[in-house]
Amino acid sequence: MAILVRRSNLLAPITDTERINQASRNDADAITLDLEDGVVETHKVEARGLVKEAIALAGRGGAEVFVRVNAALLHSDLDASVWPGVRGIMLPRVESAAEVAQAVEQMTVLERRRGLAAGALELILLLESARGVWDIRSIITASPRITQVGLDESDLACDLGITPLPEYDPYVYARGRLVIEATAAKVQPIGITYPLGVYERRLSAAEIHRMATDARNLGMKGVLCPDPSWVAPVNAAFTPTADLVAHNKRVREVFAEAVAAGTAAVPLDGRMIDVPVDEWAKVVLAMAEACDDRDARKRAARAAGS
Amino acid sequence: MATHQVHRSGLTMPVVTRRFVDHAWRRGCDFINLDLEDSVPQHLKAHARSLIKDAIPVVRKGGAEAFTRINHDYVHADLDAIVWPGLSKVNYPKAETAEEIRLLDVVITRLERERGIRPGTVEIGANIETATGVAAAYDIASASPRIKEFGGGTGYDMSRDLGVEMFVGFEQFAYGKGELELAARVLGLQVRAAPFVANTTGSVSDADRALREAQAARKCGFRLGGGLNPAVVEPQNRGFTPTAEEVEDARWVLERHRELAGTGETWIAIDGRVIDRYEAARARDTLEWAALCAERDREKSDAVFRTRAAMAEPAVTLGDP
Repeated sequence: MAILVRRSNLLAPITDTERINQASRNDADAITLDLEDGVVETHKVEARGLVKEAIALAGRGGAEVFVRVNAALLHSDLDASVWPGVRGIMLPRVESAAEVAQAVEQMTVLERRRGLAAGALELILLLESARGVWDIRSIITASPRITQVGLDESDLACDLGITPLPEYDPYVYARGRLVIEATAAKVQPIGITYPLGVYERRLSAAEIHRMATDARNLGMKGVLCPDPSWVAPVNAAFTPTADLVAHNKRVREVFAEAVAAGTAAVPLDGRMIDVPVDEWAKVVLAMAEACDDRDARKRAARAAGS
Repeated sequence: MATHQVHRSGLTMPVVTRRFVDHAWRRGCDFINLDLEDSVPQHLKAHARSLIKDAIPVVRKGGAEAFTRINHDYVHADLDAIVWPGLSKVNYPKAETAEEIRLLDVVITRLERERGIRPGTVEIGANIETATGVAAAYDIASASPRIKEFGGGTGYDMSRDLGVEMFVGFEQFAYGKGELELAARVLGLQVRAAPFVANTTGSVSDADRALREAQAARKCGFRLGGGLNPAVVEPQNRGFTPTAEEVEDARWVLERHRELAGTGETWIAIDGRVIDRYEAARARDTLEWAALCAERDREKSDAVFRTRAAMAEPAVTLGDP
């Protein structure tokens, strides 16, 4: 089965012409054109008119292009967002399977009307309320279009009525539930570790890399990047390092020798290598290859465009 | 309470590695887990199955209980080969649904009847090693009365399922552990869990860390251990057993609580420490657990003594290699 490599997903407010024009140069695996929180209320109508052209602009560097719609303006926003070149829709503030079904119904109609393959459009869901986190299982299994799901930690704080303190992570349970339920449903959980999801501070690339690595080690598969400076460290954090690749090749060799010698449990550097360790080594090596492929395709797209 | 509930230490070993199996009784374990699963190469599965019946009495010679870990995908063939007198538990890996557990129960029930084993003897250990298993925790844990212990949610399989590296130095499994513990507590089961103790080496033979982990786990109300290397057996036995000071303190608490009877008071503070019925209950629990551990240790010592006598080996301390 092909591995979905969507390490970085760069948010670009649709009305920010500079950001939209530059977005394809940032090496993000995906770019999400934002009609929601990045656009002021009075510009919502104007913003919709910009989507079709922005899809082509954003996709020049080989990134997948998504559009984040407003939950409260779903019908008009979807109508403005489904054009050839768009990979899918980011649906915020989801609280029920019925809301997913409603979006899917309209997406299906628009696919037909606008000449997209039936079922081509994916969905990325954002949960932003206690209700959404609690009912996550029914929500993320509501459609096979759903490929990723994350928490919007700022809006979740609002819903919970809390003012989060940077030194105290209030989302241990919510994030854990997201990872377990999404993994069980074969949907990718996305997010970064606290407090970066709430306090979008300017941090060094090294700090972002560390927090994205921690997120990967909680089970996250990618990060929504509010700023282009996040993209490079996030991509690096979700790509197996050369050391990791070398180590896992060694694991596979040592394990294969052990099996040939009649056991599937063999010590290596003080650890025990058995079937799940060898299975994990296969995953890491396949992931490294998939990341290489993804990066090569982006390079090729940029070369063709320049 | 019977001492078969004392599972402080245990070694999981490939049943195909004869030197591990032959020496298992010398290790001082509360249980030995004979593995048919992840430590046995695919091409040796049938051979491994054929070894279990004779290995059961061999690993019990030191008083340990005999468990077997079967393969998730070979339930019928594995159970048919392992459910024999002397087996205490079937460990079932990567449990994901209640139906799987009910099937195990049906097959084990039939085999117990056919092979002259007292009904209900063989326990089921449902190992939760995937996100799907965590999401179905309560259904799985309540699927059979043969499940007496429940937990997991960490380890190599879980990490692979979540796509995470292990030994990164922070708590990665808090939610899953919490869900499993809650399900176990609600159902009155022993909890297989441990508080987070940073481990960045992944070593399976670190005796000092094994002791610290066992002590920390016991303080959190967990009593179940187990490992892969003989070096961790003694530290686990020690770390999960109340110390002499703790036993003495528990007796002191009960004595002070008894003195309250008839005074009309429900609690008393002595040197800033509150003695009430909750503290008394905790003290009673400590004494009961200490007594079970002591009884279990006597059983194991006696078994080792008998085995050495039969082999005409000189007596040495339990747990020596």
